[in-house]
Amino acid sequence: MEKSVNHIEEKLGTYIAENCLPKNNSILVGYDKNLFDAGIVDSAGLISFISYIETEFNISIPDVDLLPENFASIKTIADYIRKQQKVINEQA
Amino acid sequence: MSRLRKCLVWDLDNTLWDGICLEGNVSVRSGAVNTILELDKRGILHSIASRGDEETAMKVLRENALAGFFLVPKINWLPKSQNITVIARELDIGMDAFAFIDDDEFEREQVAFMLPGILTLESGRARELPFLSDFIPAEVTKEASVRRILYQTELERQRAEQSFASREDFLLSCRMKLKVRPAEEQDIPRLYELITRTHQLNTTGLIFSRDYITEILTQKTGSTKIMVAELEDKYGSYGIIGTAIAEEIPPEWLLKYLALSCRVMGRGIERAFLCAMMMNARKAGLLRTIAEYRNTGKNRMMRALYQMTGFKLDDSRGDGEMLRFAKSLDSISELPGWVKLV
Repeated sequence: MEKSVNHIEEKLGTYIAENCLPKNNSILVGYDKNLFDAGIVDSAGLISFISYIETEFNISIPDVDLLPENFASIKTIADYIRKQQKVINEQA
Repeated sequence: MSRLRKCLVWDLDNTLWDGICLEGNVSVRSGAVNTILELDKRGILHSIASRGDEETAMKVLRENALAGFFLVPKINWLPKSQNITVIARELDIGMDAFAFIDDDEFEREQVAFMLPGILTLESGRARELPFLSDFIPAEVTKEASVRRILYQTELERQRAEQSFASREDFLLSCRMKLKVRPAEEQDIPRLYELITRTHQLNTTGLIFSRDYITEILTQKTGSTKIMVAELEDKYGSYGIIGTAIAEEIPPEWLLKYLALSCRVMGRGIERAFLCAMMMNARKAGLLRTIAEYRNTGKNRMMRALYQMTGFKLDDSRGDGEMLRFAKSLDSISELPGWVKLV
């Protein structure tokens, strides 16, 4: 169970490493790191990231949810994804 | 209606020059060269998608002093549609702003079929392209005439980035300086260019007329102001990369329009520009910011900007399609650490 919980964080971390970091990047992005303050994601980067998340995790993210509490860090994004998936499962 | 093309992709053999490079001597077509020079002046970029050997072809281009005009050339044996897709990604230009010129009908058909939106042209038309409306911008600005150099600098920046140990280190190393100032009459052509060319980092997508802009700039007493943002870093100057239209209605600062060039995406400059203007509004004694936003189908990132910097949707003040976001000027999110205001 523990593994599946971290699975989402790992996937998000991989996306960030492949799309938002220099190729030589050697500093791991902590799950709690604020992605905006570290310059890893900005408004444009967030929109690309969101379309990846929507496809990869099969959820849809309404505009009203684009908030710092949901998208500040890998951790908050993963929590948000789990919450959305739970809603979908309950509806099904 | 034809759409302005931002990049023209060239085939080489029997298009840019007579003959086949790998089979011996070729001679560059003067009509094609004139077109390259003329479109370059207008801010339209050139690239290459051609079959053949890169080294041999680049040598010919260098000998004819043409190599520097082409950004991210692709000379190989891959399908041209695949090469053009990579060019579009590297230059970050939409396919509907591309044109492709080739003598081979099969190649043109293949590209047109695989890449909807691209304009394909027969090589015999090379000399007449400067007269086609697809290649005539409404206005040629100072920025347009150096657009190729701006892109080349940007490609250099991107290559440099890959060697840093973190994104933040790279951003800090760029030593970005942002200047936010009131617009002046001489900025009008560039303002108009930003307003008409910018679709993603654009809060309302409204196209203001030149008359409206001129009127605001010439009547100094009105409460509506136009601001511009200029950016430079250690690689060079970007010139004016953003503009905003705002009105002071004490105690509120009403941000009616905010647009930034897509060239500065990825550096948090939109946040820096917004923060800088909010700090000025606070200094002027205003208490709240109201920011207008209209969904154009392409500008979700501007809604993200407002919401991620603490603006809240104010349902009571929406007006049809126009949404209004509010934020107190007590707490303004900090300027990104890698941007210095000058």
